[in-house]
Amino acid sequence: MEIKEFKIKWGMVIDIDKCTGCGACMVGCQVENNIAPMTKKDPYNYVQALTTDRDDAANKLRTLTWMNVYEMSNRKAFPEHEVAYLPRPCMQCGHPACVPVCPVVATDKNEEGGIVSQIYPRCIGCRYCMAACPYHARYFNWWDPLWPEGMDKGLSPNASVRPRGVVEKCSFCHSRYLGAKDKARAEGNDPMDLPDGAYITACAEICPTKAITFGDLNNPEHRVHELAKGKNAFRLLEKLGLDPQVYYTSEREWVRLQGDNYNGDGGHGTPSNHG
Amino acid sequence: MSVGATVGILFTPTVWTALDDVSIWTQNWPWIPTLKYGEVKGVPTVSKMCESGCAVKVRTVAGEAFGTEGNVDNPISGGGICPLCANGVQVMNSPTRIKAPMLKGAEISWDEAKQLVTEKLAAAGNKVAVISGDQTGTINEVFSALLTSQGSDAFYVMPCEMQAADKAWSGLMGGSGQVGYDLENADVVLLAGADALESWGPTVANMKAFAANESGKFLFAGPVQTRTAAVTSKWVPVPTEGMAAFTLGLCYYVMQAGRSVPAADFEQFKAMVMSGYTPAKVEAATGVSADTMADIARTLLSASNPVVIPSGSVAADAAAFALNLLLGGAMKVLPEFAKAIDGAMSRSEMLKKDILQGVSADLLLVYEANPAYALPEQVKAGFTVAFDCVETETTAAADLVLPTPHSFERFDDLASPYGLAAATYALGAPVSKPTVSVMNAGDFVLGLAALGFETFEDVLDAKVAAIGADKRALVGGAVHVLAETPDLSGVTLASSVLGKAAVPVKGSGAVALAPYTLLNVGTANQATTPNAPCTISNNQLVGDFLVVMMASVTAKKLGVDVGSKVKLSGGSGECSALVQIYEGVLPGVVAAPLGLGHTVGDEFSKGKGDNVYKILTVSSEAATGTSTWAGSTVNIAKI
Repeated sequence: MEIKEFKIKWGMVIDIDKCTGCGACMVGCQVENNIAPMTKKDPYNYVQALTTDRDDAANKLRTLTWMNVYEMSNRKAFPEHEVAYLPRPCMQCGHPACVPVCPVVATDKNEEGGIVSQIYPRCIGCRYCMAACPYHARYFNWWDPLWPEGMDKGLSPNASVRPRGVVEKCSFCHSRYLGAKDKARAEGNDPMDLPDGAYITACAEICPTKAITFGDLNNPEHRVHELAKGKNAFRLLEKLGLDPQVYYTSEREWVRLQGDNYNGDGGHGTPSNHG
Repeated sequence: MSVGATVGILFTPTVWTALDDVSIWTQNWPWIPTLKYGEVKGVPTVSKMCESGCAVKVRTVAGEAFGTEGNVDNPISGGGICPLCANGVQVMNSPTRIKAPMLKGAEISWDEAKQLVTEKLAAAGNKVAVISGDQTGTINEVFSALLTSQGSDAFYVMPCEMQAADKAWSGLMGGSGQVGYDLENADVVLLAGADALESWGPTVANMKAFAANESGKFLFAGPVQTRTAAVTSKWVPVPTEGMAAFTLGLCYYVMQAGRSVPAADFEQFKAMVMSGYTPAKVEAATGVSADTMADIARTLLSASNPVVIPSGSVAADAAAFALNLLLGGAMKVLPEFAKAIDGAMSRSEMLKKDILQGVSADLLLVYEANPAYALPEQVKAGFTVAFDCVETETTAAADLVLPTPHSFERFDDLASPYGLAAATYALGAPVSKPTVSVMNAGDFVLGLAALGFETFEDVLDAKVAAIGADKRALVGGAVHVLAETPDLSGVTLASSVLGKAAVPVKGSGAVALAPYTLLNVGTANQATTPNAPCTISNNQLVGDFLVVMMASVTAKKLGVDVGSKVKLSGGSGECSALVQIYEGVLPGVVAAPLGLGHTVGDEFSKGKGDNVYKILTVSSEAATGTSTWAGSTVNIAKI
């Protein structure tokens, strides 16, 4: 398949040498995108005595973390050990593995900006896309989202709530893109030429060390344009040829090597340990 | 039955549609969440969930708060937020909010509560104490003024870095004001135990300074390769109890290079270090090689604006302040803001009392602190009044519980969190209306005694006037900065005390314990928040089990491996945990996360992991006359 090219290509450059793995991006993402806290009990389940509990956040296979921070280790013993943290949103691939496998066209890459869409009402929950995505960026709603009593009144207006049975993923906070374009139109500016910083994702905004830089990779006036071409820039599993729009940068060679070393040594080459 | 009826039943769709309906309706979403649409705004205020407090903007849609965003104009946050404050609105809407005043589990009215506390105050006389979980608020002035009016000085804070620093700086070294560190403009930053980019001090301000300081070199020294060490250019493994000796070892090289300070006891200090803390002696005591220390000292000496940031014991802090004075770099001394209430204590006075040595009072007022969780053995009182906004171990154990508004529902302020390079003052106004029957603790206390103010808002107005700031600008998210430097002429190097206090003292357990704090896991006063549990890594929590980390050599010595279930015993308690191998832990040390193992609270924190505060050992740093958790050890048994 040809790589789809767009005039605008939203992307990120994440500086691993600045990420402390604090988790603020993950919390900010969940709040922005109405990802419900994981609760064991369902107050609407009137036959709870007969059913098993829902999963809480202890089950890392069933949490919904559109943005997830992984811990990386150089795997050397004390005192040569080094550690790094790698935040992983959806890579919004130029040549996405998830799109062609979807039987109902619930996910597509056809909008200016190059964000891979996810249309929840169309999704039938077959999870082919999850199997296809090498970045584990897609998540399945095993349970209906539930907010503990009272917490549902503070829902974000920026993302519809998804029912169980559908797949979801990071959308680069797409409604913020729509909002930025609307604002540009209202102010008489060109919505197809947003200045750097006019549209920024929740994770990039909240990051206390500014490890995440967001912008249009094609626009020379955006910082990401140059950062993505830096000598220490790399992409995850670049050799798979999916052309991700998320770049990483690190001065540490072992970090860069692990970034593209999938199955390099029999499956131990990936960043280990959910972090 | 007639033929007609039989055929009718066979061909009627009713049965099949009914079955179909049942299958559909039983699978329906029981509750359809609806989003609110309307004007989206970002309202500046302060959030006090983390220890130093974050300056944030609360995002509202049609007036309803739904999230937080950083306040880019605020020098404290610079647009970032810590993971706790990022979840502030969810905590505000939590079902564990305390809904009304409760006397031993039964709801009472605010008038009854006021009458009861007034009687208890009269009966207690000067046997009244306060424990405050707030390090930066003017609310402490209200509580301390109440104590003063009762003839008591029993004002306690939860153990914190600010207290250790104050005891070292004003207690031992005769300084005045508050120590701060200019991370943003320093060219070399040695974090001597301070996990500054994860939990120490004004974390978000530190992280912002780290990001802005592109050319600065950051070094981290400590027993664990923390998250801070993940981004610094070097990790120097140093045991916690050896930090003061290690710092004096650096002083040795710095003084050898000819640096001095015009302090009265400089010659004594020099003689003490040159004889007692030679590289060989420090190496023997701490295990840090002389070469490593020489190397770090060279880096510090060649820098034009270096700074050393300590953490932990009073001795470690004093040693680092002495080193900073010798280096003459980016350590700052901040003036204190003027008081709003005459009878209130100064910040330094509030930090005097040592909570680790125990609190005993007839009447104890606890303000947004959780001593029942973090200090279960130290606090004893005849009658306890707990002010808090959500249920905690402390509110569960208290006789009277008085609900406070959440940070986003009240006027509150943030005066110079410890660690900032300049004296800053921020003010927050309410964003949301409380939905439960709450009262600002300040208003309640002002109703108990004649302290010269009617409401807490009046106190804050007086504070703003006293420091010469503009309230309107502050409510709009601006910060007031006080630029003056206190007099440093009387400062000494505390040579007589430091010489003895810096000697590493370790407990008798088999393995040294390195407790650490991650903000997403929680602090002593604030449990993890609703959206944070899925950010907690397998290195802290697996399922409902606490995880402790150690290097492979330590595990081998103890005969444990990844996933081994162990019992840690230390202090007067026990914890059960799973073992994780992490090579970023000094051999002979086990690293355990603080903040887990709550027994009261919401389902996100309750029953998750075990409480490491139980196994900390309080030891007395005899020479400085203070208590410390540094040097805690544990015994580990496989179960």
